[in-house]
Amino acid sequence: MNAKLIRELERRLGRDSVLSQREDLLLYEYDGSVEVARPECVVFPRETRDVADIVRLANQYETPIVGRGAGTGLSGGALARDGGIVIGFSRMNRILEVDAENQRAVVQPGVVNLDLTRAVEHLGLYFAPDPSSQKSCTIGGNVSENAGGPHTLASGVTANHVTGLEIVLPEGRVVRIGGKTTETPGYDLTGLLVGSEGTLAIVTEITVRLTRKPEAVKTLLAVYEAVDDATESVVEITCRGITPAACEMLDGWTLRTVEDFVHAGFPRDSAAVLLLEVEGLAEAVEEQAAEISAVCLEKRAREVRVARDDRERDLLWKGRKNAFGAIGRLSPSYYVQDGVIPRTKLPQTLRRIEEIGRKYSFRIGNIFHAGDGNLHPLILFDPRHPGEFERVVAASGEIIAHCIEMGGALTGEHGVGMEKNELMPLMFTPGDLALMRRVRDAFNPTGRLNPKKMFPLGKGCGEVRVQPMPVSSSLPA
Amino acid sequence: MSSMAEASLARLERIAGPAAILGDAALLAAYDVDGARPAAAVRPADAATVAEIVRFADAENLALIACGARTKLGIGAAPSRYDVALDLSRMNRILAYDPGDLTLGVEPGITLADLRRALAEHGQFLPLESPFASSATVGGTIAANAISPLRQAFGGPRDFVLGMEFVTGAGEAAKGGGRVVKNVTGYDLHKLLIGSLGTLAVITRVNFRTFPLPAEERAFLAAFPGSESALSFCRAIVHSPLEPRRVEALDAAAMGLLGLAPAEAASAEDIWCVLVDVAGTSGIVARHERDLERLARHAGAKQFSALEAADREKHLARALEFPRYATERSPEAVLVRIAALPAAMPALAAESRRIARSNALESALLLPAGGFAYLALSPREPGAGALGSLANALSEFFKTISGSALHARAMVESCPAELKRKISLWGPPRGDFELMQRVKETFDPRDVLSPGRFCGGI
Repeated sequence: MNAKLIRELERRLGRDSVLSQREDLLLYEYDGSVEVARPECVVFPRETRDVADIVRLANQYETPIVGRGAGTGLSGGALARDGGIVIGFSRMNRILEVDAENQRAVVQPGVVNLDLTRAVEHLGLYFAPDPSSQKSCTIGGNVSENAGGPHTLASGVTANHVTGLEIVLPEGRVVRIGGKTTETPGYDLTGLLVGSEGTLAIVTEITVRLTRKPEAVKTLLAVYEAVDDATESVVEITCRGITPAACEMLDGWTLRTVEDFVHAGFPRDSAAVLLLEVEGLAEAVEEQAAEISAVCLEKRAREVRVARDDRERDLLWKGRKNAFGAIGRLSPSYYVQDGVIPRTKLPQTLRRIEEIGRKYSFRIGNIFHAGDGNLHPLILFDPRHPGEFERVVAASGEIIAHCIEMGGALTGEHGVGMEKNELMPLMFTPGDLALMRRVRDAFNPTGRLNPKKMFPLGKGCGEVRVQPMPVSSSLPA
Repeated sequence: MSSMAEASLARLERIAGPAAILGDAALLAAYDVDGARPAAAVRPADAATVAEIVRFADAENLALIACGARTKLGIGAAPSRYDVALDLSRMNRILAYDPGDLTLGVEPGITLADLRRALAEHGQFLPLESPFASSATVGGTIAANAISPLRQAFGGPRDFVLGMEFVTGAGEAAKGGGRVVKNVTGYDLHKLLIGSLGTLAVITRVNFRTFPLPAEERAFLAAFPGSESALSFCRAIVHSPLEPRRVEALDAAAMGLLGLAPAEAASAEDIWCVLVDVAGTSGIVARHERDLERLARHAGAKQFSALEAADREKHLARALEFPRYATERSPEAVLVRIAALPAAMPALAAESRRIARSNALESALLLPAGGFAYLALSPREPGAGALGSLANALSEFFKTISGSALHARAMVESCPAELKRKISLWGPPRGDFELMQRVKETFDPRDVLSPGRFCGGI
């Protein structure tokens, strides 16, 4: 990279705000995905003005820019695929305003998801999107990827909780879109920006909706002797119009792996468990919990356990949210998919995933957001074995193709990034993609903002990822 | 009336088929927008024909305005050009409905009323409600982003529309989003179309998530001695664990306009009413009744009562139709749609009333929960000075809300066509206007769709 640019960045931001040594950059060539790409420098702005200056300098030197929060993303969204500058938001981590009366907060993008909830808890409020990585992932990253989480079933994904943004456009101009009010006149630019994976603008400030903590919560664990019974329970719960706050499924292999690590209380001898939560008015919670129990038992659940207290509830959720870490202990590497299917198609889809696993001789674990049909099949593999990663890509391609065939989607919450960009034509026509490209070009005409993401580059699937690396500590939602 | 060459009209007829209306001024009058009359109205039956019509208009440099039941065509600035009305009312099919999955895909021309009946057969509903409820279509309601009174409880279309298919101003068919309840693949282009007044693309399909109908419903009406106490009741509800479906605060003028007099002290000008609708099982409804009454009394309610079933229907239906009542009462009526922070509502109510009085205007306010308000203005005395008073009041109103702590945003949703030429319906332009222009250029580079009708002349 141009040494002059690095010197200019150092002069503008201070030497302690710019990393350009090879050993420092190594940390930033990964995120939570299996992808690798090294930036040429990493800069740490403290305020919007810094970001605007960085962007202007990058323009002057025609250098790509990629924003990065905590690097927990699962689709390579925060990786510098074309090199250039990574803007790390770890120092822009202030909560600028909490407006309890209007249930809003204004935050910088580097604020950690759970830190916002902790800061407003005493007011009886919380920030609803809860990706499993919420202890480390940032709200800026959540906005870029439109992150979900187990509790998005009832409360919606990040997009449903963002009302306004301050953005820096690729030409260095700072613009405010949306605001604190529920809507603002004009096109819903905030709706477009959330989930645009850093390809349209750099977000420097976020206005979020805060949610009132529910009066009552009940957490249930339904234990099954057969996977089909668990998936059929989910279908029946959905059909009856019951919307739990969360409805997560773990299959037998996955729950045993988690249990050995976390000791959450999942029965090791079961074939599947559903982790369900209902929240709201005390009366509603009682009724819904009873109804859900009845459905699960009707669908041959061996047992439906209700968490007796917060400790037991926290333990069950710890099991769910730390599952990926647990699996990382067993396998040199794993590959996780994020496809979505209509919820009524769960039973046949899980059977199909099992078939695909057998066909390619892979162990595929399933731990996912069953309530909204968002699958996370985990394919365990060893990247040191030649050819194995290619087979993983082929197997996961078959799973994704099945999802799309069922009328589903490529990704429910992890984003497209540089991981699924070649698969976009499965879901979108050339016309759809051409329009999306034009929208990108309208905001990001030089393409220097997060280059080579989201859109297919025209390479065949499987050719793209040639450097799989072991992943063991990422915490997908 | 727009003039189109005979040859052009003939080609359009070949594309659009026999349902087209060509050159018949009497029939075309139904498609007038702010006094402008198109030369033709076409009524395509499918998305492919829509694309062909838009491509034709693009090639011939014609301006199109898409419409459904034409109940919201008064929203937006007067068109700068208008040649062809693109009437989507024949595209009224349910394309996919999976009750078990609570997902739905429909054409834009289906009416909300027909859709409600179809969903009710499966014990479901869509929280998309709109004034002109008996004829309003899905496409028009989405394009105008009508404020549904269910918004606080279920969110707006942005929250429950899963995806859309549409035809851009260049005549290209495209889509955004998908058909499943969770999806982050690609840009959410469909969100741009919500509230775009047809200026970006013609919607040809909307995919929704649906919701189960509740077991029981009950509505309550509370009367308060002024806006402060009424709005403090509304705030207390928002900050309570209660989950009502609808909460609407109305001033005495709004109650009068809707023909709903509170039982108590109908004549007192400062009476405010709050209408609350709740739903759920009997236990949940009973809990709401107990808590709502306590909160209402605590806020200073003079009266709190449950409404009988027929009375409930009447109150809910009329409150939903407030924009219609407000605009139909006089040819000079003005309706302003406001988004504001809940904490600012009392000040907003007071300021609105002050501005109306100082300009010799009648005002009525309806405040749906979730940070919205409708302000209806009309001259006390119709006549020559009326438009001037309205223009003054609106400019004063925009001045008051911008740059104050009110944090309010507003647009004039309805006003006399003459007034549209004098004022900016959206108030002063904001910093993101240039981005909106870029979006418009991307979707409709040659200004084929509803030119001039959106903010800043887009």
